[in-house]
Formats: sequence, C-alpha cells, structure tokens
Amino acid sequence: MVQNQMTDASYPQVRIVSHRLLKPDTVESLLVRLVAIQGIRRIIMNGPSIPATVPYGPARGTENPHTDRRSITVGDEEIELRVQVGTFLLEVEKEDIIPLIERACEEVFVNFPYQVQQGRFMRSSPTQVDHAKYGPGADSRILGITDPSAKTGPTIIQGYK
Amino acid sequence: MAYTPQYGPGSSVVAENRRKQMNPSISLQKMRDVTDEDIVLILGHRAPGQAYPTAHPPLAEQGEPDCPIRKIVTPTPGAAAGDRVRYIQFADSMFNAPCQPYQRTYTEAYRFRGIDPGTLSGRQIVECRERDLEKYSQELINTNLFDPALTGIRGATVHGHSLRLAEDGMMFDMLQRCKLEGGVVNYVKNQIGEPLDKKVNVGKPQDAAWLKANTTMFHSLVGTSYRSDEEYVEYIKRIHSLRTKYGFMPVE
Repeated sequence: MVQNQMTDASYPQVRIVSHRLLKPDTVESLLVRLVAIQGIRRIIMNGPSIPATVPYGPARGTENPHTDRRSITVGDEEIELRVQVGTFLLEVEKEDIIPLIERACEEVFVNFPYQVQQGRFMRSSPTQVDHAKYGPGADSRILGITDPSAKTGPTIIQGYK
Repeated sequence: MAYTPQYGPGSSVVAENRRKQMNPSISLQKMRDVTDEDIVLILGHRAPGQAYPTAHPPLAEQGEPDCPIRKIVTPTPGAAAGDRVRYIQFADSMFNAPCQPYQRTYTEAYRFRGIDPGTLSGRQIVECRERDLEKYSQELINTNLFDPALTGIRGATVHGHSLRLAEDGMMFDMLQRCKLEGGVVNYVKNQIGEPLDKKVNVGKPQDAAWLKANTTMFHSLVGTSYRSDEEYVEYIKRIHSLRTKYGFMPVE
C-alpha cells in the first residue's frame, strides 16, 4: 500500500530527552548543531504547549506574552516555537550518524543530564485524521510530524541534497 | 478523655514536615514579606485600596434568625461584613515543593476558619470570604508552605506540576505568571493570567537542600522515597486491608 511506505523504510530513529524543559536558546544551539549533520531526515520537537492567547478561565482570549514563545533561526529558516521543548525525535538515514548526534547533545546539555535513546518513536502509518486531512496520496514524510489539526505545516530546512 | 491528635503517621522527615504544617500549635516559619497590596494584585479579585464588594448586608444589620448554632459559632470578619466568596489556587511541583494539594487542605482545615478547600491531583483551591482570603493568602505565601519556583499561584491553566522543571529551575507555566529575574521571582501576571501594572517580588527560590529537608512530598528520585518510611507503609497497608475486608469481615 502506498500509505505504508514509511513503515517499510526502516530508518533508525532517535529520541533525545533532556532532564529539564529547554529555553529557546538551548533549542536553537542544539538544532544548529543537528542540521550540520548530514543524514537527518526529520526532526520533531515535543513539549507542553505555550498558547498565543490565554486558553481557559476569566482571561480567556487575552494575549499571552511569554518569553519562551519566540522564533529561533536554524539554517536559513525561522522557526516559531509554540511549545517548551523537552523531547526531540529524529529519523536518520544511517545508524552511523547517531554518535554525531550524541556529541552535539554533549556539547549543548552541560548543566543537566539527558538521554539519547534508539527505537521507534514516530507514527509509521496514516491515521484516519491524516487520511481525511492529507488524502490517500499524502507525502509520507509529513505523516506523524505535525499535528493534523494545526494550521501550519512543518518547517523545511534545506539540507545537503 | 483528652484526645491528642497525631496528625499523621511516619518516621521520615517528610512525615514530620507534614505534621508540623498541620499542627496549629506550631507556627509556620516566616520566609518572606509579600505585602497586603501585592497579595491583592496577585489574587486579582479587586483593585488595591478598593472597598470590599459585598454579597449581602453585614450580619449586624441583617437581623439574624434565632438559631442556637449561630450563637455558638462566631462569624469570621469576612462573613460578618458580608464579603463575596473568592479564591486562591495553588499548583505544587512534584520536585520537592514544600506543600501539596492534600497537605494544603489538611493544613488549612486545621489552621483556618470559614474555608471551602477543593483538592485535585495537580492543584488545590481554597474559597472563603474575600478579606479572610487575603489574610490566609498572606500566611500561605509568606511562610514555608510556599517556594517561589516550585509553587505556582494559578487560578486557571494550572498545567505543570508533574512536568520536568525548566532549565532555570522554574515549574512550567504556559502563562508565565512569574519569571526568575536576577535570582528573584517576580509575578508579572495575576493568578488568572492578566498582566500586572507592577511586578510583585516573591523572593528567592529555595535551594535543593532546603527543599529536600522541608518538602511534604515523597519522591524516590529527588527526595525521600515512600518505601524508606516503614511506619507509613505499615499504616497504608492497614488502611488498604481494612477497606478491602470491610463489609465481609471488618476485624483486624
């Protein structure tokens, strides 16, 4: 099946978990190192949401100024952070670049511990919602890396290919 | 027969801290000096200096019915004046915050009058008459029940108590009501997330050693583990056993 191509391609996946939720500067400094590594296909950043407006309570709908909700620059792209990043999921082309990722983490996470784990962390087949939103012929690289209800898509950072 | 409350079981430092907080004959340790006006700003229920809006006329003017209970129970100042019922709500980080929801409710019930606490897993709210609330809030914020980094005063959008701390040691708050600036924590929004005209300084966060020694939470990784307190484990086993047997054969 076309939709399941992603499952068949068994690219190694890595999860970076820091023991602290990260400030945008730290995220930027790690991403800058990661994009310099050849062979990373996709990166997902996870963490608790920082909404643009107050979501609940009597102040609902009012603006929510937050110093950790801001843009960072990675490669030539601006990325608007909407979460306080705590986890990175990466899909790489070959296992031999994982030590490079570990080295980048070592350089950035100096004040607190972190873990780099290998396993299957990304969704491997489209859900019903993906199917409704992207259709049957969706680009398999997009599946599972953005929230289907989000209005914005993924950021594409020009790589080496 | 004279009854001496035990407040709680346990031989660990956590158990001792719990008893100390609950026992009204032990005064809470004063740690900081947040002023009345600053408390009013954080609460966000009225403007500082504004008269207390009322829900009913003062009891003295109202003409109370002839009721034996009303003769026994003295009304709190807020109830006597007919204040509105207002609230303060706290979220306590699981990383050794000095207090936690159940503990807060027990502590408040032992120490305060005329309150209606609501206990949830990640937050605890206490409702009472407005002027009583301000007085109790002073005690909840200025004493060892509060830590600027690990205790959040959050009326809504409380998410964060069970998350990893941020790099600077602050508990996650999606509304960033308080910020760590130059080593001290300043509230920049009131408890529901509306920006304040001036910052409210609530002092320096406590260090890890103080938190570990003063927390009322068990935590096997960053604090005292529950299993290390044999008396507590025995107590919980007994409660569990009695609950399970009750109705079938409620004997020990």
